[in-house]
Amino acid sequence: MLKRLAAILIISLLLTSTALAQETLNFASTQMVPAAEQLFAKSVLLKGFTDEYGINVEFIPMEYPDLFTRLSAEVAAKKVTISVVGELHGGLDLMNAQSLMDDLSDVEFTDRTFIKALEDYSIIADRKVYLPWMQATFVMAVNKKALAYLPDGLTIGDVTGASEKWTYDALLNWAKKLNEGLKVPKLGFPMGPKGLWHRFLHGSIYPSFTGYQAAAFDSVRAVEMWEYLGKLKSYIHPSSTVWESMDEPLLKEEVFIAWDHTARVKNAVIEKPDDFLIVPSPRGPQGRGYITVAVGLAIPAGAPQRDKAIKLIDYLTSPAVQVKILENVGFFPTIKEAEGVIPEGALRILTNGVLAQSGAPDSVIAMIPSLGAKAGEFTAAYRDAFTKIVIEGADLKTTITSIADKLRAIFAEVGIPLL
Amino acid sequence: MIAFDSREKKWIPYLLFLPPLIYLIGFVGYPLIKVLQITFTSVEGKFSLENFIILTRDSTFWKAFKNTLYFLIAIVPLQVILAFLLALFINSRFKGYMTVLYVISIPLALSDVSAALMSYNIFTSHGFLNKFLMKMGFIEYPIYFFGLGLSSRAFWVIVLTELWRATPLVFIILLASLQVISKDYFEAAEVFGFNGWQKFFHITLPLTMPSLQSALLIRTLFAFQIFGVVWLLSGRDIPILAGEVYYQQAELSNFRMAATYGFIIALISIIISWFYIILLRSKHLEV
Repeated sequence: MLKRLAAILIISLLLTSTALAQETLNFASTQMVPAAEQLFAKSVLLKGFTDEYGINVEFIPMEYPDLFTRLSAEVAAKKVTISVVGELHGGLDLMNAQSLMDDLSDVEFTDRTFIKALEDYSIIADRKVYLPWMQATFVMAVNKKALAYLPDGLTIGDVTGASEKWTYDALLNWAKKLNEGLKVPKLGFPMGPKGLWHRFLHGSIYPSFTGYQAAAFDSVRAVEMWEYLGKLKSYIHPSSTVWESMDEPLLKEEVFIAWDHTARVKNAVIEKPDDFLIVPSPRGPQGRGYITVAVGLAIPAGAPQRDKAIKLIDYLTSPAVQVKILENVGFFPTIKEAEGVIPEGALRILTNGVLAQSGAPDSVIAMIPSLGAKAGEFTAAYRDAFTKIVIEGADLKTTITSIADKLRAIFAEVGIPLL
Repeated sequence: MIAFDSREKKWIPYLLFLPPLIYLIGFVGYPLIKVLQITFTSVEGKFSLENFIILTRDSTFWKAFKNTLYFLIAIVPLQVILAFLLALFINSRFKGYMTVLYVISIPLALSDVSAALMSYNIFTSHGFLNKFLMKMGFIEYPIYFFGLGLSSRAFWVIVLTELWRATPLVFIILLASLQVISKDYFEAAEVFGFNGWQKFFHITLPLTMPSLQSALLIRTLFAFQIFGVVWLLSGRDIPILAGEVYYQQAELSNFRMAATYGFIIALISIIISWFYIILLRSKHLEV
């Protein structure tokens, strides 16, 4: 009896110690936060890693301010529990400036080639802060029914090929023609509280008209831009103010032309690949402004299990996993090898649109500025400007002058140059 | 059976009270004190009214304040009248009144988010209402109930949604109160020749006053905290106080402004509660 008890005790101890040895790797990410994406991250993406390497990963979705606060506290207390961080370029840049990130110059994966522009961005002040993980951009999705209403002089080839004729004026004429033909506005933007409308304002239309996101906020070109938006407003679907993502309104045919993040129009294309086209943003007097979103994988300074963290980064940037991410979350690969693996169909349609935009010679690429806790104030300034000028009819020059002062103060406070 | 000596017995009530007390101190008391501290602290970390000055100089605060009041004025009286009528109707105990009672109570099980989404599906340009009106040939093109520059329409959609969602709560409180009024009063009134109105004003209304007070208090406080329905149906097109707390905290990470907004909501709620308690105190209950 005693022998049997001793055997049970030994087996239990062995099992416990094995479980403890298989320590969990904490992966904090500000991406894949929505419920459906979290499910993908946990039950597909990271499960694949655990199955392959036998390392358990705890996926911790969180907002940037929480991540920043937690990492600052952990690094200061020298009790870092997060091994890998998935965050936007801007956030990683800022955390690196606070000495919260490890230098990954020693990390190299010889079997893949990262897209050069993204790799260049990941090296900040001679430190390799992160490995490019995913990228995304903002594009326009067009229902093919809208093609019957193309304005005179504009062809579908001009739109998909990002020709010089695909301008904001052409968009206005197209939206006008759609409105006249269908008697309802058919152009939509994600203006809801959680929508990314502010990204359109500071990252697309401002650079297209002024060449800058904020530096020429109250310039003569900006006045032209706001006057243009005043005209465009008549053709924007009124429900835009409650839409947070444009895939649903596109699928319900509430709108025929919509601007949004690639991840937020992806579902429409996947569900009805024959109905939609993904096209580049239009151009303005200063070029074709659009935001490129770069997401990186970084390791916090003093993080535990660094070798396993590198293994996870290796896995997450491998071609097959990158395509899986594109299929499920709509973020595009960051390595060249993945391009050949993308299957025909919806994903190809999305990729074509993204590539046409990034390949446009008149591109004015905007990166989301690294403003940390001030990011909210920055985006609110653009939304407030639109509400005051276009909706409430406030005096244009006075409003943009006062908001421009506010923006300059934000950049000065954070200590980064005005973009 | 455990036997306690007299000294132990003295401590038992305190021990039983301890767990909720610890919970309240940790999860209500501490955050409350922290909010007060943040509200009255300047950027430099000194005691100051700076946050209130910044807030009152911001036009959005006054818009949010006005809109919250408008919602309060539009929703609460309508809700109380409607709930009272429904409670009187159900209390007449007609045949099948239980089924009607269940139907009226359905929204009690709904969260504000569910109610807002259902409302959105009814009133959106491609919603049930527009589809119905178009199918019946009443309209050719959809009517827009909310969106760009349509905040006054959205206001009434929100009022309607809130009426549907939260009236059952007031209704249940009032119905419970009506059901405990003794029939003796009404029989005596019959003897004295009271008509229906006299019975209502001299018996029903005074005896339901304590419940009415509770219902009004709860609804007014809830109306001041209205958030989910407004946020989902109009975003920040119709700024409201509770929405600004969320916006300042979650979107702008401006803890000081969020705390100041929260403090103002709490202050107004306390003033309103006091007002109701004083104004609606039942005379017959006063000693």
